[in-house]
Amino acid sequence: MHKLKSNNLLRLIGFVVFGFFLFYLSNAIDELRVYQGATVAMYVVAISSIILLTGYSGQVSLGHGALLAVGGYGAALLRNNLHAPVWLSFAGAVLVAALFGSLLGVTAARLSGPYLAGTTLALAVGLPSIANQFKFLGGEQGLIFDIGLPPASLGETFSQYKWFFWIAALTALIAMWWLQNLLRSRYGRTWRAVRTQSVAAELAGINTARSKVLAFTVSAGLAGLAGALLSMTISTVSPSAFPLSLSFALATGAVLSGVTTLGGVMIGAVTLVAIPEIADAFTQRIGASENVTANLPGLMVSGLLIVVVLFVPNGPVEQFRNRRKK
Amino acid sequence: MIQILNTVLIGITAGSIYSLMAIAMVLVWRSTRVVNFAQAGMALLSTYFGYEVIQISGSYWIALPVAMIGGAVVASIIELVIMRLLLKHSSQGAIASITPIIATLGLLGLIKSVIGYFWGNQDRTIVSPLSNVGFTFGTNTLAISPMKLFIIIAILVLVLSLTFIFQRTNLGLALRASAYSPEISRLAGIKVDLVRTIGWALAGAAGGVAGMLQTANGTGTLSPDSLEFSLLLAFGFIAAVIGGLDSLIGAVLGALVLGLVLAFVLTYVGGSLVFITAFVLLLIILLIRPGGIISQKAGRRA
Repeated sequence: MHKLKSNNLLRLIGFVVFGFFLFYLSNAIDELRVYQGATVAMYVVAISSIILLTGYSGQVSLGHGALLAVGGYGAALLRNNLHAPVWLSFAGAVLVAALFGSLLGVTAARLSGPYLAGTTLALAVGLPSIANQFKFLGGEQGLIFDIGLPPASLGETFSQYKWFFWIAALTALIAMWWLQNLLRSRYGRTWRAVRTQSVAAELAGINTARSKVLAFTVSAGLAGLAGALLSMTISTVSPSAFPLSLSFALATGAVLSGVTTLGGVMIGAVTLVAIPEIADAFTQRIGASENVTANLPGLMVSGLLIVVVLFVPNGPVEQFRNRRKK
Repeated sequence: MIQILNTVLIGITAGSIYSLMAIAMVLVWRSTRVVNFAQAGMALLSTYFGYEVIQISGSYWIALPVAMIGGAVVASIIELVIMRLLLKHSSQGAIASITPIIATLGLLGLIKSVIGYFWGNQDRTIVSPLSNVGFTFGTNTLAISPMKLFIIIAILVLVLSLTFIFQRTNLGLALRASAYSPEISRLAGIKVDLVRTIGWALAGAAGGVAGMLQTANGTGTLSPDSLEFSLLLAFGFIAAVIGGLDSLIGAVLGALVLGLVLAFVLTYVGGSLVFITAFVLLLIILLIRPGGIISQKAGRRA
């Protein structure tokens, strides 16, 4: 018991140290990198929500983009109509998305693998287009989500992007800290039990349906938070910000990170942001044609995804741990 | 009255194309237990083959079978190179049920970037070989043209022959057996690997035809990001799920239901609600029957 407590303390210290590291990093790097940092933080939250759902609870979702959209619209509506402060609009995004996720989860708990994949895919295709039907959602242009200028006390030279990064990184750190505690708790163990042996879990007194719905709810809440972060970095919410390809990108990121552990979540998030950069640098160096420039990032992401699925299906972190155990 | 009739006709045409995609999905699912999201990508690639043939020969009627064969070849190559490896490497482990889905998503992206590399991102056009002007009935124009009639008939023939192959021939029996239990089928002398490749090839051929017909039926434009192929991807799969992934008849039924419902929503409610209607329809049907309209009794988990 004592060891467990000190482990928890160590992890908390780790998170805080990492936070300070990010703080110094944000002062050391240029504008573009800071902005990309904010995007990485957004992906970390979004991917972790998929890891929770797929890796821990064993449910597939190809439609997390739609849950991000719910969060983004929730945050924007709160901020625009009720003039909620930023933190409150983020909290609202989490609540709205979690509520939506719990409704969806009730359905999802009844469905197995491919049927669930189909349902969530249909959701990702369908939900963002609703915005075109209702006026208060702003149609194709969407809504503005403006979190305001950074506080004046931070100095005149403090840029908007750095402000985005601070908010996103802090949010992601808090969310990850909370999530990794949750996954180590009774709930995390219950989810794993249901995933690996649902019959045995039921015999041990676990309500498998309720556990699945709960996983979906928490995952949707996190996805909503990611949606609010995404809307913050692009300052708007619109149907085109949440295409099907976003949902696919998140699933890709989760697999690259290793879907069964939270430990590798940074790998997937950084890869998603870095690959377009790498492809761009590469094509500029060799002076490639337009067709190559436009398609290399997609090719690299897909190729990497297939290689990972074929050779390290449980992700790099898990692979590393297994090797050390042997 | 005429509007209702036209809506039904539009729904049936759209539904028949979805049914071809859905059948392709069901074929792959029943022969390898993989949900093939790359199906729409394969269909798109075959349609580009067809486009090239049209450029050279000038005839849609030569291009159609070429696209069909092209689709079959692409699908077999994918099965031989990637899916076999996948089944060997990741058939166990925590997320074994999810890895094939992710792999086919990766394939979809791969195929899209290959298409983008060879054909660029600009639009290409396939001109409809038959008139797309509707028949007239008195003073009214019906929503069925010679092209649409051809589409419906062609798909009917294909669906019937695929069903025949699957249900009445030795090949079909081998396909069903090797999906049901690879181990036992192997003992019974079925070349399971070969049979799987054939299942993929059949699906690829069906996808190629669906792509050619869909392009000629719609605006005729062909591009890597064309909306029509996102529709094929999403609605083909949704139709298969609605019908129950294990049943060919279910796939056709699901596709027709989907096509008709969407056509009515498009005509009477509005275009922006079409996609969410597909979701709601799927949700309602799966809440009543979690295994689709035509689902086997529980207990068969091959």
